Amino acid sequence: MKARATPQVSNVPSYCYNCVAGPDLLTVKVVDGVATQILPNFAAADIHPGNGRICVRALGLIQKTYNPNRLRTPMKRTNPHKGRAEDPGFVPISWDEALDTIASRLIAVRALGLTDEAGLPRVAASFGHGGTPQSYMGTFPAFLSAWGPVDFSFGSGQGVKCVHSEHLYGEFWHRGFTVSADTVSSRYIVSFGANVEVSAGVCAVRRHADARVRGIKRVQIEPHLSVTAAASAEWVPIKPKTDAAFMFAMLHVLLHEHPRERLDVAFLRDRTASPYLVGPNGYYLREPQSRKPLIWDGGRSAAVPFDMAGAAAALEGNFTVEDCVEIGPDRTTWRHQRATGATAFTRLVEHMRPHSPEWAAPICDVPAATVRRVANEYLDNACVGETIEIGGSVLPLRPVAVVLGKTVNNGWGGYECCWARTMLAVLVGALEVPGGTLGSTTRLNKPLGNRLASVKPGEDGFMAANFNPTDRAHWAARPTGRNAHRTLVPLVGDSAWAQALGPTHLAWMFLKEVPNHWQRPSAPDVWFVFRSNPAISFWDSGRMVETMANMPFVVAFAYTFDETNHMADILLPEATDLEGMQLIRIGGTKFVEQYWEHQGVALRQPAVAPRGDARDFTWISTELARRCGILEPYNTAINRGAGCVPLKGSNYDFSLDPSRVHAVEEIWDAECKAATAQFSNGAESKDLAWFKQHGFYTVPYKRSDWYLYPAMVEKNLRFELPYQERLFKAGRELAHRLHEHDIHWWDAQLEEYAPLPLWDDVPARWERALRKMGGDPAAYPLWLITTKSMQYSAGNNVGIPLMNEVAGNMRGHGGVILNVVTAKHLGIRQGDPVEVRSMTGSTRGNAVLIEGIRPDTVVIIGQFDHWKTPYAKDLHYPSLNTVAPLSLDLTDSTGSGSDLVRVSVRASTQP
Amino acid sequence: MTRHVMVADLRRCIGCQTCTAACKQANATPPGVQWRRVLDLEVGEYPNVRRVFVPTGCQHCADPPCEKVCPTTATRRRPDGIVEIRYDLCIGCSACMLACPYDARYKTERREYGFGEKPTEDEAMRADDSLLGVATKCNFCADTVDAGVARGLTPGEDPEATPACVNSCISGALVFGDIDDPKSGVSKLLDENKHFRMHEDLGTDPGFYYVWDQDLP
Amino acid sequence: MTATVRGAPRLQRSWDSRAACNFICGGAGTGLLLAAAAALPSGWPYAPAGVLAFALIGFGLWMVWLEIGRPLRALNVFFHPQTSWMTREALLALPLLIIVGAAILLDQRIVPLPFKTHGTVIDLAWAGAVLGLAFLYCQARILTASKGVPAWREPSLQSVIVITGITEGLGLLLLLGLAVATPPSWVFAAGLVALAARAGAWEYYRRRVAAGAPATATAALNRISSPVHLLGHVLAAVLLIVALITPTPVLPAAGAGLALVAVGAWLKFTVVTRAAFTQGFAIPFLPVRGRAGS
Repeated sequence: MKARATPQVSNVPSYCYNCVAGPDLLTVKVVDGVATQILPNFAAADIHPGNGRICVRALGLIQKTYNPNRLRTPMKRTNPHKGRAEDPGFVPISWDEALDTIASRLIAVRALGLTDEAGLPRVAASFGHGGTPQSYMGTFPAFLSAWGPVDFSFGSGQGVKCVHSEHLYGEFWHRGFTVSADTVSSRYIVSFGANVEVSAGVCAVRRHADARVRGIKRVQIEPHLSVTAAASAEWVPIKPKTDAAFMFAMLHVLLHEHPRERLDVAFLRDRTASPYLVGPNGYYLREPQSRKPLIWDGGRSAAVPFDMAGAAAALEGNFTVEDCVEIGPDRTTWRHQRATGATAFTRLVEHMRPHSPEWAAPICDVPAATVRRVANEYLDNACVGETIEIGGSVLPLRPVAVVLGKTVNNGWGGYECCWARTMLAVLVGALEVPGGTLGSTTRLNKPLGNRLASVKPGEDGFMAANFNPTDRAHWAARPTGRNAHRTLVPLVGDSAWAQALGPTHLAWMFLKEVPNHWQRPSAPDVWFVFRSNPAISFWDSGRMVETMANMPFVVAFAYTFDETNHMADILLPEATDLEGMQLIRIGGTKFVEQYWEHQGVALRQPAVAPRGDARDFTWISTELARRCGILEPYNTAINRGAGCVPLKGSNYDFSLDPSRVHAVEEIWDAECKAATAQFSNGAESKDLAWFKQHGFYTVPYKRSDWYLYPAMVEKNLRFELPYQERLFKAGRELAHRLHEHDIHWWDAQLEEYAPLPLWDDVPARWERALRKMGGDPAAYPLWLITTKSMQYSAGNNVGIPLMNEVAGNMRGHGGVILNVVTAKHLGIRQGDPVEVRSMTGSTRGNAVLIEGIRPDTVVIIGQFDHWKTPYAKDLHYPSLNTVAPLSLDLTDSTGSGSDLVRVSVRASTQP
Repeated sequence: MTRHVMVADLRRCIGCQTCTAACKQANATPPGVQWRRVLDLEVGEYPNVRRVFVPTGCQHCADPPCEKVCPTTATRRRPDGIVEIRYDLCIGCSACMLACPYDARYKTERREYGFGEKPTEDEAMRADDSLLGVATKCNFCADTVDAGVARGLTPGEDPEATPACVNSCISGALVFGDIDDPKSGVSKLLDENKHFRMHEDLGTDPGFYYVWDQDLP
Repeated sequence: MTATVRGAPRLQRSWDSRAACNFICGGAGTGLLLAAAAALPSGWPYAPAGVLAFALIGFGLWMVWLEIGRPLRALNVFFHPQTSWMTREALLALPLLIIVGAAILLDQRIVPLPFKTHGTVIDLAWAGAVLGLAFLYCQARILTASKGVPAWREPSLQSVIVITGITEGLGLLLLLGLAVATPPSWVFAAGLVALAARAGAWEYYRRRVAAGAPATATAALNRISSPVHLLGHVLAAVLLIVALITPTPVLPAAGAGLALVAVGAWLKFTVVTRAAFTQGFAIPFLPVRGRAGS
């Protein structure tokens, strides 16, 4: 560095939460007012599971801040015509003009009514990547809360880019919005494409590195040799989308090739529905009076309610039960004087009988011996019967886990995979215990973020389920959001997050065309977009852009121009990562592998002044609230906790005066004080000045609270496995409701509601869909899949050169990854420009030829193919999103799809 | 005696390139210049393939070929093992770049910036023309190490005396310290594990060790 | 787990054709100094060869000066004679050029001196030739000191560089025959010996590279090997034999000289810019990523 006269140097604590695996606590080195370096906050080393380190993406924040392509003033569109080919004619305007324009629009909308004639919210909002924009939007959630109904169903990749089925089934079965291995205690992990070393952040990387050195064995089963496979003891290449068959065969080995006592019989008997008797119609046999499911009591030689004290429940067998009922969909009741009931476990055993490793081998293209060995190693490491003491509690130790990656745990096959994975844990008692398979947090069950508190007794000895009603009286025949999450997906429920976890691509598809007997939804009058670029991050990008162009009034919080805000009417440049202020919660257990032994809050603060006329998001939110005349409910929402924590608690009160405008620092000062008071039970309250210096505040979080099992024992609840009576019933009811409305286009999805998942030739669905589109699978012989890059947090840092440079050290970045032998047959050499073509589009990149990929598979890393985002558009990198069709046929019953496309690849003459 | 060395635990490294980026930022290196970087290598034929990530950079050899060929004495090995370049002496003849078996040296002729022709504010502030036209490379963040040592801190233990790549490493793969101190972190790590150095047959006695397995008794 | 994992070597870009020029011109120039000194007793004038050699060596050094990143600090090149062959080359360059310059001046009697100078010219010419050989040797050692480039660090490259320089020098003398005078016939014989030595050295070097350097380097050498032998050795040998037996040897000798010089330049250009692949990376053991086997 140049010698300078006494430079003013400061290290400003902050956080990076650009991906779901965050937040990472950092410091910004500021020299003479210029941010020069992002460093770990070394003070966090003792409280952070990743030793206080920060991810590579955080280092991009300097260039993000000083990016010359940033928008520095609000802008308005001058060309009323929207479309990719249209020049929006953006011109700079003042903040007053921008905010008044938006406010007047909103006031007009409010006068019309918050919902349209069909009951759909007139205002919609889309936020990107896994809720992370919330850590950058200040008090905007309070504005939305004050506003009223908002449609969050226009996804930017949710459902197709997230671990969607895992979200829904994981929460249902064990309050696991995302599911992880208890890596720190595990000995053996079977990972079906879970690319944790890339996508699970600093905490996961450190936990797994420590585990490897300790001697864990991880078997990575996936079509290409990802970074995680590289860091695993073994890589097993598997045909895309056949993971369920592999897991079914593992279940077969455990159930049919080993003595029963090798399984955790006590866990199965006492903590699952395994002993519940299933009747001839496929529903639990119940006691006629109490309607409680029956189990077979070996002591009494009689069927008794599942919660009968002292019953010696039979785990397996077929039993004759006198006088019982079965209750089916729409309360259809079968009264049996004498019925044969098989235990759910026996049903499971029989269900898995045909699925031997020899059966799975040709499906998965994996030798049967490998499947059997993995199953046996899994069982050998399960340590059934062992215990461990954690924080003074003795808990079962089951150091084996199965984890699933994206495309495995979403879309068709996701149900089978999530169920089989959870069953593999259940059979050896490894669900929600040390070393086993764990959930991380809750988003669909209340309270959000507190999974232990969400364990509430429900029906039939299980946790309360939160399904959207499917009975005739309560079913939401008229969607309340444009993706119809309450109408079509019972399992997703109706929490604050549920809408964004519905079939978000349906919202886009239905704007363009609707299936039979479905009312075409209106486009929202006002659409807010922040940190989200669905024009790139969703599928069938071309069609997405056309649909987006029909949005009448779009307000985009804009960092640079991009493909989505190309359609905007107003662009608002917000003070970004290093410029804005916000307090967020940290610690406890959260997405992916965020398992902390501390919890608390962390502050983001302006390390440098905002570029140009960018404004703090909280200021923008307050101004919008004021100008829309909803200041009071806005402040009230903040007081209630919409900013970060409730400002008033049992032993503290830092509430804001709801009637007046509060400055940004005033709001966050109150949040800082309230949060510290909350976490210290009123013992102390640290103000904003303290946080500016220290950055974060934490208190201990019990490690034993990582596990749900103790709460289940305490409340004497059972995991709702293996048999899925409730889902089965909901599916039948939903079928009735839809058919009553003459809706048959969801029938394929309804078939997925099976009480025990059926093996379905999942890859064949893609081939059938291709034929339906008029294509010949032989003409598109390869499977295109995608994978993440550690250097890219979804798409939001594609405009940062540093990320591109360092990502370039990793093979395949920006290219089309092919097997060397496949490439040879196609006449493609290393580095050749190639075209990847599907039925719906094509994308181009340079060939990257490797050995570590199946010959029938193609991989494109990340999400690119930009045409507007500065810098990124000049990279000319390919993207799966360009060639993946938006298709109802490829949408599963939870409303999710998989990043999988049948393609052809050929040498391209164009670079 | 002190000999500062780097240890990369290949069991831990996952090629995240955080060290690469941290090094670039700490040293304000221009686009394309990576004093620290992580290689992504593959071996075998499908389906028996392994992939491995290898951090690399200047190996701070005890017998550095770059020092021998340097006509100006700009490159020299310090008593603490750090091989440094005195940029005010270097004439940019590139002999050292060709002498280095580790491809660790760079030469940039003109100012280059991340976003193209114009520097960002931080780039403008940190641009250092004394690094143009000369050979550059990793110096184990010698300024940081020296400042830390002067304050009584221990390189490799105290972040303020430790190279940026080590401070940034998320998997704990990069470890730095004095190999002549039997109690240092690097000494212990090397004692307990099997390790090698790259291109040892070339006789350069590198100060960069790679751990690959535990050393079971 | 043992398995050597390799990272692909890359073609070095640090030294381009400007650096190659120094090896080509410096080698040919110093070789010519030797040939010119040896030809003096046969009545050959020193000046034409001396001027050409001076120009070639000077041009090569100028090219290097153009290539270095900090030309204004070029004098720092003298700071490391203890181990740097580049410093040594530079240290030799100055007296070499002075001596050759003086020999030219004396040979041409540009400065009138009150004594006979022919003996002094011979002495200076031989001094220039010896310094030139040392200079040439330094150039060879500069290449072989480059440990990062397997095709360069191969020790037999030293003999290739030195012998090629000498061969080129003879070739240049044969070419000068067109303008100055028929070269003495021992030069034809010496040319034959030199080209045979060069062919042998080249073959030996090529095989050594094939055994230890990246395949890409070997391929680059192999690509030129046949034409090198055909033009630079077989054709040149035939022409030299013709020159030996014909009463008018100037033209075939010049042809042979051209072949010797051109092929020498081509060969060195290839070694410096085309076969100069870096060491690449290799690790002898694969990391154990968790224990294999449960």
